[in-house]
Amino acid sequence: MDDPRQRILEATYVCVARWGLSKTTIEDAAREAGLSRATVYRYFPGGRDELIDAVVSWQHLLFFVRLYEEVHGSASLEEVLERGLVFARRTLLEHEVLQKVLDTEPDVLMPKLTVESNRTVGLIAGFLVPYLHDQGVAEGVAVPEAADFLARMILSYISSPGHWDLGDPEQVATLVRTELLAGVVADRTAP
Amino acid sequence: MTVARLELVREPGDVAGWEPSTRDTPVRVRVIDGALACIARHGVAKITLDDVAREAQCSRATVYRAFPGGKDGVLRAVVDTEVSRFFSALALRMGAAADLEDVLVAGMTEAATQVIDHQALGLLLRIEPELVLSQLAFARMDEVLAVTCTFTAPFLGRWLDQAESKRVAEWAARIVISYLVCPAEGVDLTDSTEVRRLVRLFVLPGIRALREPRRGGDARDETCRVGDRTSNASYSNRIMPITKGEAS
Repeated sequence: MDDPRQRILEATYVCVARWGLSKTTIEDAAREAGLSRATVYRYFPGGRDELIDAVVSWQHLLFFVRLYEEVHGSASLEEVLERGLVFARRTLLEHEVLQKVLDTEPDVLMPKLTVESNRTVGLIAGFLVPYLHDQGVAEGVAVPEAADFLARMILSYISSPGHWDLGDPEQVATLVRTELLAGVVADRTAP
Repeated sequence: MTVARLELVREPGDVAGWEPSTRDTPVRVRVIDGALACIARHGVAKITLDDVAREAQCSRATVYRAFPGGKDGVLRAVVDTEVSRFFSALALRMGAAADLEDVLVAGMTEAATQVIDHQALGLLLRIEPELVLSQLAFARMDEVLAVTCTFTAPFLGRWLDQAESKRVAEWAARIVISYLVCPAEGVDLTDSTEVRRLVRLFVLPGIRALREPRRGGDARDETCRVGDRTSNASYSNRIMPITKGEAS
């Protein structure tokens, strides 16, 4: 906890939870962290914009670290996807700060999240690659493109489930079996 | 978004851009066209009603008479018009498709092409991305998916039942939005060959699985198997009764 950068990020997050993204200033963050403005600028020379972007990045990454902890050790790709979708959706809905900012400052937050989630496609795809190798991909599909496709779809359903209820395990199982895995994995029931 | 205003008679070539308006054109149309031209040059934030009036060759007062809501009212009309044009372009392509694979390929390719070729949208994505991107995540994207689904699902209805059509329409919309918001190396959705590949690899097997009992069930039909993906000529004809031969 003695890493000043981390301390500043956490303090800024507290401020964002209280006042939102647009109203949080460097002064607020410094005061909350118990540091001087100069120290905050030393770690975030780009000032407020850089600080806010860093907080969004950090929280975004934290979300996917939690998601990783939730699903790693799953026995199969189905299990990874089913557990991951349920956990991710529930976590987003229960994330009070995210929901508050989405509600009050969507135009500020959503473009930042788009940038972050574009980076996340590769991260998720990388995580899925070993599972795809284990399970075997369908004929004509390359592992990297299958992983990329799955990563995109996962991000899409987590963010906007559309008509799917990701709180219902039955629906999640159908979603995984059809729109996610049907074209991706080898048909194991084939002779 | 008023689907009722669709102009289904337009040729595909007309839909991507807009016709230059003349003094004989009704004021409302001139204002909407003028506003779109202004947006394509300067984005949304910087344009004023004076710019729009100049472009439409009328006075500011005339703009206000046609659009008492001012700039917001004009922008809403521009968005409605462009959304309608987008869906009418989709309708032309999807309505002409001969089988399920074609209707998906046509719809997805046309959607990507309409977005990428749209001058005003292209400029907005460069200079005011927050305007566009803020519509394409979380609850707002759910709305976009719902509207797209309402409009496109009926075109799938020739091959799929209503529930299937809705699922597949929403799924296809997701795929297009994902590749537009986050372009992938080597995947160009304006190229129908690449879209067809995606559809064959991922979408058609998913539709087939939707119709199948859950894994472990013993009611699997051998003719329903995904089979050999490398010989694609007859691939879509084998996977389900949704194809040219059986549809006609």
